[in-house]
Amino acid sequence: MDNLISKKDLLESANISYGQLYRWKRKNLIPENWFIRKSTFTGQETFFPKEDILQRIEKIKNLKDDLSLDELADMFSPSPTITSLSAEELTKRNIVSYTALEMWNIHNGSTSTFSFDQLLTLYLLDTLLQTGEMNRSEGIELLHILQQHSNEIKGKESELFFIRKMGVSFFILTPEPAKLFVESQTKIIAHYKLNQCIEELKLKIS
Amino acid sequence: MEKTKQRNISISGSGTAAGGEYDQVKVNGSAHINSDIQCEVFKCNGSAHIEGNIKTGTAKVNGSSHIEGNMEAEEMTINGSTDIDGSLTCSEVKIQGSSNIKGDLKGKEIIVRGSASIKGNVSGDEVDVKGQVKVGGDCEAESFYARGNFKINGLLNAGNIDIELLRLCEAKEIGGENITVKRNIDSSGFKKFIKFFIGQQTDQLTAEVIEGDHVSLEYTHAKVVRGNTIEIGPGCVIDRIEFKQSLELDENAKVGAQEKI
Repeated sequence: MDNLISKKDLLESANISYGQLYRWKRKNLIPENWFIRKSTFTGQETFFPKEDILQRIEKIKNLKDDLSLDELADMFSPSPTITSLSAEELTKRNIVSYTALEMWNIHNGSTSTFSFDQLLTLYLLDTLLQTGEMNRSEGIELLHILQQHSNEIKGKESELFFIRKMGVSFFILTPEPAKLFVESQTKIIAHYKLNQCIEELKLKIS
Repeated sequence: MEKTKQRNISISGSGTAAGGEYDQVKVNGSAHINSDIQCEVFKCNGSAHIEGNIKTGTAKVNGSSHIEGNMEAEEMTINGSTDIDGSLTCSEVKIQGSSNIKGDLKGKEIIVRGSASIKGNVSGDEVDVKGQVKVGGDCEAESFYARGNFKINGLLNAGNIDIELLRLCEAKEIGGENITVKRNIDSSGFKKFIKFFIGQQTDQLTAEVIEGDHVSLEYTHAKVVRGNTIEIGPGCVIDRIEFKQSLELDENAKVGAQEKI
């Protein structure tokens, strides 16, 4: 129960009204499966995953003056808004670093336009490289796994884990949210929710 | 199928046609269409049976039609009866007779003047019901306006909800900005006339949870009502009320617990 928040508490801590919450739900700004129904002593109540919903509502409140609700819905949906972007534009607009692009080119050959799936892969590679936690050869492994499974993770709540134990590192890609327990010496270096990465990427592109 | 030369089909009497792309499809007797069909105008004055999907600009059904697949249309009027085994997607749909949809109903303007039964979800900008509606799933709209009888098994979620009750109305949950529920005040003899046939049933809304910014209720039975400003009118039986700003209670309402948050 500690990672869930009741609707009543949510409205209070986020300072929004029932009407707003229902409107956002209607506009698909809040995914259906975040509404978790549980019975309590006062009857049935709705709960939400606390971190996700608070983050989402914060984003909606920040962006709703600049974007229409429909545009916001596009941003939050796991399906792409744009179809492709040129390599030149990517570096010029500072969406990904030149290093990441270079690695991509070495691995896949020179690419001039990127589809949204490719962009996401590139963006993840860049983000992990930027953290300084991942070296170049691990980056190649990341490209491998993301490209190999790009169809299976599409439009789902996929998550990416980057794990290292005693100098040996590997990636885990799950198409659904998963809980992982690891040995004591093992370190989860990075844990990304791909939907959130997609949102960030869409924000950067638009 | 060549796109440049669009053909029409007109079936008067009884006939069978293959699917494909057409400009106009008119049925004046009974028709059987074997596969998917795409056209600009679909008009059925008799009975039509389509063994596939249909995509059309405008559709008018004055008789009866049965579609085994999905239906997509810009504008659709049903004056007779229509059964759709799949989903119906239509910007403007007007159901004046009766219709059964086994999938979802999606549209901008959904007007029901007869009876409609939808097994899936309903979503639209405007849902306007004078008659009877049954929804198996959720119903979402910017404005939901009902003068009549409805049963929604899931959540009724709309910006403005305006309900005039007739007989037993039911929704599992209701949520929105403005929610108004009133008893139908019909001065003409029409209601008495109906009641003569269907028996004396009280007008009442039953819901488990009603949540909104401004909630005004009459003759409503609910477990929980939550909102900013709440008005509880006559005939209400409510187990628990949670309100933020104001609560007005009618003396003929039965309310269990009430709490200001």
